[in-house]
Amino acid sequence: MSSDAHPYRFYWILWIVLLAVTLLMIAIEGANLPAALAVAVLLFGSAIKATLIIFYYMHLKFEHLGLILTVLVGLFVTAILMFVLPAYDGGHILDSFRSLEGYSG
Amino acid sequence: MSQTAIAQADWGGGASPFGVTWQKMMMWFFIVTDALLFAGLLVSYGVVRIATGDWPAQSEVFSLTYIAAMTFVLITSSATMACGVKAAELGRPARAAQFVWATIVGGFLFLGMQAYEWTHFIQDGGGLLSNPWGSPTFSQFFFIITGFHGFHVLTGVTVLLVVAIRAAMGRYSPAGVENAGLYWHFVDLVWVFVFALFYLV
Repeated sequence: MSSDAHPYRFYWILWIVLLAVTLLMIAIEGANLPAALAVAVLLFGSAIKATLIIFYYMHLKFEHLGLILTVLVGLFVTAILMFVLPAYDGGHILDSFRSLEGYSG
Repeated sequence: MSQTAIAQADWGGGASPFGVTWQKMMMWFFIVTDALLFAGLLVSYGVVRIATGDWPAQSEVFSLTYIAAMTFVLITSSATMACGVKAAELGRPARAAQFVWATIVGGFLFLGMQAYEWTHFIQDGGGLLSNPWGSPTFSQFFFIITGFHGFHVLTGVTVLLVVAIRAAMGRYSPAGVENAGLYWHFVDLVWVFVFALFYLV
């Protein structure tokens, strides 16, 4: 992953990649894409950055499979619970917000 | 070997489950649970934002260039932290301490920039119950999400200061640097999503 002569080079290459993805995401924000597409692309960009940080900066790639699965399954279940279930039930949640007295949204 | 046997061999148990120190394993467990906290905040923000009609355009409230600069500072501090962990692993304590100090500078810079951003927002009329640009709910999520993240940055800087001062006293351990590094990268990881979902979307 990093040679003995340049032990830190890999991390700075990764730094450039992370900054490049960030700049691309800012450009996408300014490109006036349809909202749903922009959200999807920005989430995809965030997922790329998160994967690079977790696997390489946090070295998860080089851990035992058991630890990798523990972390990734934990995060995956987190994502399912947090995003999919509210999205599935979103209509009811929004209706209950709108039924609040004096709610102006 | 059955799957159960493989799983048990991987776990290992005792003082080094999964072939790592128990401290490192517990740091990973903490990171997963802390990710839950931020996922909860960001999802509730998403639902409430959809339910709220007059959500302000972020570009009118914040300078995107300024937020991008904050992101740059945090990503850079993550890179110096990764180098610090590597230096510690290679048995170069002096170099590792230099990288940790650089990371601390990055952390303080980020906190300073955030303090300035909050001050600006408040001076422009933003408060927990007020928002000149639209729904006050926007202000609430702004303060709570960036506040929680900022508190994590402050905690990270404190942990790194302890590591750096201990290193200066000669009480240095590569495993300690690595664990502090895991937490610091997590703070950067959270900002990736805060930046994308709160400032860009």
